[in-house]
Amino acid sequence: MSVTACPGEGEVRVFADYDGDFVDEADVVVVGSGPTGSVVTHELARAGRKVVLIEEGPPFTPEEFVLEGAGSMARTMREGGLRTTRGYVMPTMQPIALGGGSLVNSAICPRAPEFVLDDWCTRFDLARTRRQDLDPHYDAVGNFLGIAPTPDDVQGSRNLLFRDGCRALGYSSEPIPRNVRGCRGSGECFTGCRNRAKQSMYLSYIPAAIELGARVLTSLRVVKVLANERRAEAVVGRVVEPFTGRLGPRFRVNARVVVLAAGCVATPVILGKSGNLANRSGQVGENLQFHPGVAITGVFPDRTHPEFGATQGYQSRQFLEDGFKLETLWAPPAVLAVRTPGFGLALKERLAEVPYSATWDAIGSCHRSLGKVVPRRRSMDPVLRYQLHPGDVKVLQHALWILAEIFFAAGARKIQPAIHGLPEEMHSLAEADVIRTAEIRAIDLICGGNHVFCTTRMHGNPSQGVVDEDGCCHDLENLYIADTGIFPRCSGVNPMFTAMALAHRQAGVIEDRLP
Amino acid sequence: MPIRFVLATAVLSALAWGVQRRFGGYPPHPGGQLLGAREWAFLEAASEVMFPPGGALSPSGREAGVPAFVDGYVASVPSGMRLLMRLLLLLFEQATLLFSAPGAGGHRRFSDLSTAQRAAVFEGWRTSRLFPRRLAFTSLRALLCMGYLADPAVLRELGLAPWEIVPPIAKADLLYPPIGRPRAEIRHRETTLPSDGTPLEIGGPIDPGYRGSEAAS
Repeated sequence: MSVTACPGEGEVRVFADYDGDFVDEADVVVVGSGPTGSVVTHELARAGRKVVLIEEGPPFTPEEFVLEGAGSMARTMREGGLRTTRGYVMPTMQPIALGGGSLVNSAICPRAPEFVLDDWCTRFDLARTRRQDLDPHYDAVGNFLGIAPTPDDVQGSRNLLFRDGCRALGYSSEPIPRNVRGCRGSGECFTGCRNRAKQSMYLSYIPAAIELGARVLTSLRVVKVLANERRAEAVVGRVVEPFTGRLGPRFRVNARVVVLAAGCVATPVILGKSGNLANRSGQVGENLQFHPGVAITGVFPDRTHPEFGATQGYQSRQFLEDGFKLETLWAPPAVLAVRTPGFGLALKERLAEVPYSATWDAIGSCHRSLGKVVPRRRSMDPVLRYQLHPGDVKVLQHALWILAEIFFAAGARKIQPAIHGLPEEMHSLAEADVIRTAEIRAIDLICGGNHVFCTTRMHGNPSQGVVDEDGCCHDLENLYIADTGIFPRCSGVNPMFTAMALAHRQAGVIEDRLP
Repeated sequence: MPIRFVLATAVLSALAWGVQRRFGGYPPHPGGQLLGAREWAFLEAASEVMFPPGGALSPSGREAGVPAFVDGYVASVPSGMRLLMRLLLLLFEQATLLFSAPGAGGHRRFSDLSTAQRAAVFEGWRTSRLFPRRLAFTSLRALLCMGYLADPAVLRELGLAPWEIVPPIAKADLLYPPIGRPRAEIRHRETTLPSDGTPLEIGGPIDPGYRGSEAAS
């Protein structure tokens, strides 16, 4: 293989640049360019370290955004956006693009509640992961990305009606803090922000890291971490063509430190393919948790102009300790229509009501519902096994009832709860009472597998976790994991900001430990 | 000639005729990227039941180009998913063998049924007590809805066609070439001012040149 010099100047390499097998060298190699990998890369580059950031997907620019939902998912998501869990069948999406999930998520950045982090520390034998420990890191990341509450002038009706409904019921609500600068309310987060307002990693941390000397290598699939006893030595893999997945030349990146930030689903697969690396605890791939999401669509008497407004602009944290968070939601109509009941003229009639509608969702802190990530023999795509616990079904049912209350308090003339066995449309809160009282099973709900956690969880006891509090693997002194797999439990709120804060802290630890 | 030979030949011939009748004899399809005549026939039949002519939105499923969309979409997803989606289409086309439509000839394949029979078949899947059947119907409906709501004419009628936006050029755009092209072909050479956050105007302008999904091309 040819050896590539590291000139010390940052650069991006793309698929068309690779003309043969190659070897690279770095102080730190980071696998995965999502929010956590990007933060680690930037911070270590800022400290003067030679950092190579590897990403399997290509860099997207607005010219490449597909504005239609299905086409966008086919290009930006693994398995074309059609990945599902087995056992309890639930769709779940993991992106494959420079910037990872930040390219196509809704930019939601709340801090984890204090009670969640206190619980982590108590249950999982952690000493330094309470809110006051993470706040300096939240502050650093928040300042860099401009995280701030969504302003009212870009909320639009479908978000402000949620606020109004909560107010009428005495429930707290607030604008969602998001990593955006100059949002214009185009509602295109899901397919890529053409206004360049959403501070996705490929727009923010990654260019900044490149200016500081980081090298970003895209279209590379890491298949293994090479290790010798207690030290990781390198990562190896293949060049992969965008969209087709055709494999190209081989590569190896030697490094003094390896950081896996490939995502909660992909990182355990890499460890499994590396000879069951870092798994003396037996916890790699185990404890898989999600924030299952349920939603209701409400139809209002007047047009809500759903095409305008921040994709997810308002939230309520009133019920976090009951196990769920409420949010407003927008996505391309083709994606939201999955929940629209019926077919034929009835379906057309309901689709014609979309300009008068709003969709609000609940994400459940379903830590009783567990699963596992199982590598497949001849693929880097995993099998995801998962079961929704009956206790967590009750939580989601309660959340749906609260959403119904908020809709009617906001003036909706009907709602579509999308619960099998119940009426497809409900025209009053009295009619909707059945949401609260019915015996609902997991298979009666349409759930989305939002946010993934815990497959390489942190624990103070090496026999019960994969990494320590700093994300360093218990079994290897220079192998770190930076994605949401290290969360010991689901966070109850959108995890990106917390994951980035942990990554920011981890970068400091790595820098301190590197000679 | 031994009688057993004659009987065997007759049985095999009847089987072959039956298989050919069940799985063959489809009219030629207009030509797409991937799907064959059988799948096109099913998609045209299914689109017209899922989104019939008339009603609250003027385009029908066929007029909205749902079969062509599905063809392009299936061609664009990874091979494993492609196979599953084609099996889904095959399932619905042939499942009348097990779950027949009401009325005469209810065991015919879906695309050969009358419109009313097809609607009854869909209703049976939609309201089935068996979760896998309901899941299969939800999946099919999602696929066809994605095609219907990708049609620019449908989106314009709903007032949901994409905004006309001129993206500001960020520093990142000076780093990344078009996907699949080398760095020498980076499009942009200098940045423009970022958005100042002025909200878009409700009601427009929408992109006059929007032609729908380019994912399949």
